[in-house]
Amino acid sequence: MIRRSLRSGRVIAGGLIVLAVLACALAAPWLAPHDPDEQNLLTTLLPASWQAGGDPAYWLGTDSLGRDVLSRLLFGARVAMSVALIAAFGAMIVGAALAYLAGYVGGWLDWLVGRAVDVWMSFPPVILSLILMTGLGTGLRNVILAIVLVDWTRFCRVLRSEVIVVARRDYVAAARLVGFSHWRTVSREIVPATIPLVVTLLTLEMGIAVVVEAILSFVGLGVRSDQIAWGQMIADGRDAIYQAPWNLLAPVLAIFFTVAGFNLLGDGLRRSLDVRMTEGRE
Amino acid sequence: MQLLATLGRRLLVVLPILFVVSALLFTALRVLPVDPAAMSMPPTATRDEIEAARRAMGLDQPLPQQYAIWLGHVVHGDFGRSIHLRRDVVELVRQTLPATIELALCAMLVAAVLGLAGGLLLFALRDNPAEPVAETGTTLMMSVPEFLWALLFIFVFGVALQAMPFTGRLDPGMIRPDITGFLLLDALLAGRLDILRSAAAHMVLPAFALGIAFAPPIMRVLRSSLLDVYHEDYIHQARLRGLSETRILLRHALKNAILPTLTLMGVQFGFLFGGSLLVEVIYSYPGLGNLMVDAVRNADLPIIQAVGLTYCVVVLVINSVVDGLYLTLNPRLRAR
Repeated sequence: MIRRSLRSGRVIAGGLIVLAVLACALAAPWLAPHDPDEQNLLTTLLPASWQAGGDPAYWLGTDSLGRDVLSRLLFGARVAMSVALIAAFGAMIVGAALAYLAGYVGGWLDWLVGRAVDVWMSFPPVILSLILMTGLGTGLRNVILAIVLVDWTRFCRVLRSEVIVVARRDYVAAARLVGFSHWRTVSREIVPATIPLVVTLLTLEMGIAVVVEAILSFVGLGVRSDQIAWGQMIADGRDAIYQAPWNLLAPVLAIFFTVAGFNLLGDGLRRSLDVRMTEGRE
Repeated sequence: MQLLATLGRRLLVVLPILFVVSALLFTALRVLPVDPAAMSMPPTATRDEIEAARRAMGLDQPLPQQYAIWLGHVVHGDFGRSIHLRRDVVELVRQTLPATIELALCAMLVAAVLGLAGGLLLFALRDNPAEPVAETGTTLMMSVPEFLWALLFIFVFGVALQAMPFTGRLDPGMIRPDITGFLLLDALLAGRLDILRSAAAHMVLPAFALGIAFAPPIMRVLRSSLLDVYHEDYIHQARLRGLSETRILLRHALKNAILPTLTLMGVQFGFLFGGSLLVEVIYSYPGLGNLMVDAVRNADLPIIQAVGLTYCVVVLVINSVVDGLYLTLNPRLRAR
């Protein structure tokens, strides 16, 4: 399974992009040419170094407080990647747990989970996360919590129907007949059968989490203002679009690059892990 | 008749959902560390005056009772007054909702046209060496959310090329005719072509930014349903009867492949409506989204509750209409 997905061009390309962003996030203190918070009010809003008036010391220019855009971009990757990894795993744990419970136990529990998903899905995700952030207050931990509370339905909805299909298979009935407990049946027979789907959803969710964090930080409801986030850089850069366009373009491209990495990876994994799709191909 | 029965059944599902949503919305926002009573008073108010206001607003009652009072008002169409703007909340929503619906409809049109054209193009490229390139292209397109498209469009068409306006709904100095609240329609009704032109120009970038973000899934579904349909016997037979490929595609295949595509478009429309929020903020477009973001920044509870509920109602209405359309369009379900 792993070998098959490693042959897919998308998986390789997406994986490399994600690893590159992750490396930037981890190595930001060593890679960044300047202190990302160091202000220099004599050199504010410098354009990129190759543009007229640019300074070679500031490769992507400076922002309205004279801080180095490239350094802030690298440090911004830390918030983006933390949110992507932790929030996506959190949403997966909540959504998958409920999906296995609802799909396997069925009955009133399934009904209850189904209605909860209905209620959640009647909110546009952006609106729900904004409302949650109003209640929770800003900060990295609350951004992660809001994403988990909004996006668990993405896992639950898809996974629940898959669990119902798997739970009806003969080998699951056989496992029960030979005396497997419910816990053992779910953990040994049902969970492994749904792992490819979970992995795919998880990868795609990481891309979604990056976007949601950027959106929340953009409207000023994301991380605290002393933390460096791409969404905040976009909000700042929008005001300086005429003098220093890279203030805006750099974080926009960074988000696109990161999300594209996760999407390519997820798309490639879906194609190579989904048995039905690989069999269906002539 | 059957459509009415379906809509009636949908209503039975929708009403409890709305009830739960409103209760959740109410409770979630009550844990906020803000005091609506203190915020609604002038800064010179004494503690006793604030306490009196709190009693008058019912804030000294237990939470379920507060909710019952609020719900009683809401059922009568009274969402209270905005704390920050000091205006009737229903009036504020009534003024901004048409703008958002207009934007969402224009964006949906863009998404539908781009999605169908792209889907046909992807299908035409099947078994072609360019197919993987085109498919990777749609994956990359999907990686650009609506607010990044909005920023990129501003940068390219607004700032670099200076070809398009990118703030508000009209040129400054123009006074909008207010008949229905739908600006494009109002300009037509008033016979003001200059306003129509300006409003349309202001609509282009937001509608494309929002629409293009929702087009790639439509492309993919149309392509894969066309691929499925082409495996059916009747396509083979049509070919044996000597029909041209164009005729087979337009008359036979597309008619059957369009149904899943339309269903997806309905689902997309719900998401698109929520996605309009960011596009509105970026283009300073005076709709529901801007009202919401301002209210969130000012912790203006009555507006947040009303706008949150409005988004919910619109999404549920869209979903119900899609279900109804699906039933009427799908002959297999019609018989039941």
